[in-house]
Amino acid sequence: MTRPDRREATQIRALHCALGQLSRVDGSAQFSLGDTSVLCGVYGPVDVKIYDEKIDRAHIEVKFRPDIGVPTTKDKWTESAVRQTFEQLILAQLHPRTLVQINIQVRQADGAVDAAAINAATMALVDAAIPLHSMVAAATCAVLESGEIVVDPNQEEADQARSIHTLAFENKTTEGPAYVDSRGDFTMDEYNRCYDLCATSAERVLAFMRSAIESKISKEAKLSTT
Amino acid sequence: MVVEIEPSKIETAFLLESLEKGIRVDGRGIYDYRTLQISCGPTHGLVEVQLGQTRILARVSCEVTRPFLDRPTEGIVQFNAELSSMAAPGFDSGGKSSPQEVAIARMLERVIRQSRAIDTEALCIIAGEKVWGVRIDIHFLDHGGNLVDAASIAAIAALKHFRRPDVTIDGEVAVIHDVKERNPVPLSIHHTPICVTFGFFGPGGLAVVDTNLLEEQTQVSSFTITLNSHREICALNKAGGIPLEPKQIQRCIQIALAKVDEINEKIQDALNAN
Repeated sequence: MTRPDRREATQIRALHCALGQLSRVDGSAQFSLGDTSVLCGVYGPVDVKIYDEKIDRAHIEVKFRPDIGVPTTKDKWTESAVRQTFEQLILAQLHPRTLVQINIQVRQADGAVDAAAINAATMALVDAAIPLHSMVAAATCAVLESGEIVVDPNQEEADQARSIHTLAFENKTTEGPAYVDSRGDFTMDEYNRCYDLCATSAERVLAFMRSAIESKISKEAKLSTT
Repeated sequence: MVVEIEPSKIETAFLLESLEKGIRVDGRGIYDYRTLQISCGPTHGLVEVQLGQTRILARVSCEVTRPFLDRPTEGIVQFNAELSSMAAPGFDSGGKSSPQEVAIARMLERVIRQSRAIDTEALCIIAGEKVWGVRIDIHFLDHGGNLVDAASIAAIAALKHFRRPDVTIDGEVAVIHDVKERNPVPLSIHHTPICVTFGFFGPGGLAVVDTNLLEEQTQVSSFTITLNSHREICALNKAGGIPLEPKQIQRCIQIALAKVDEINEKIQDALNAN
């Protein structure tokens, strides 16, 4: 079977990442998976509202905005899923009584939006120099009607899929993923295959993130010496 | 709670002193815009505008809906311009929006929707049954001053860039053609209103065009003129601040006319390049 954009079944779309494009936030990143593009801006650690204040750690807030229309219930769900993922990763106890605010704005949605949002948030947190336990990268797999599994589906494939799985992994070898989201009907065997494919793809995404950060830092180092 | 920080007294004093000598803090002339970048695509109706540090993303989309009962032959234009906390700390801090946020959103709605820039009758598919609902979403990504002008440019460019699926009507049956099947068609747009905002400083009311963030926080009054490419005034907005002489307003309109021509040219260039 050939995919609509003639990719291999296990091939992810072209990755693109730009760091620090926004001026008002403390850190920002734009992360693109092909035509899917997500922008993330992070404030932190900053002042927290009194009723959100936690005496032993930073409060983490995520705001997710879709490209079209106002946030729906599904977007609110993504918001809380992303928050719970990053609550485990941010070393919140280092900044008690503060707020880390993660603003996610979808620029364009063409499948695998949740994965792009998690990747953008990781990069923005790194750009904002928020201490993290480890970096996290997400990837998406879709099981098509035929039972075939494709990595990083675009919207057309996602619409035809029987089930869609988004998993995020940390860059350290820990047991299990940091985030799992599976929708639709699938067998245990299909899930296991998706798990492995997502893990391999996430590794590739992590390598890309690392090189994006390296190139940014080396550019800054060059600027500071000249 | 993340809050906006007021500029320091030293900054504002420096800004005002320089302005009296005709110099702006970022080195521009008094009537110069910042660098304007308009990028369109890849999908139809997606436009990002960068005006200095200010960044706006405009997204136009459409769907088939039922018309309002009292206007059976008119399509529906929905407008959404909520400020997000990504643009500046203090925006959208939960609960009610600040007067400034409401003012920006209302101003844009007046300029784009209520100036009847879009031909709503051309959006009718079957009278009383099905019409196109066009939705304009404005996302504020970065607040570097003068959000209104940048957002109006983004909205107009996105409306011009947008293509909706073609429809053919055969008796009672309307067929909406997939974009792969038949080339999508552009919206019918009556005119292109563009905002030009002036900031006024000091007791004399010295006017500058396209205020940056520091200037916006220091200004004593602002005045927004909305003009279209036919050199017609679509909206004027001066809410409070110091009183201005009619002569000053006329002068501002003259300057705005020249600016709108420049901006329209830039929008056209960006659309042609795509």
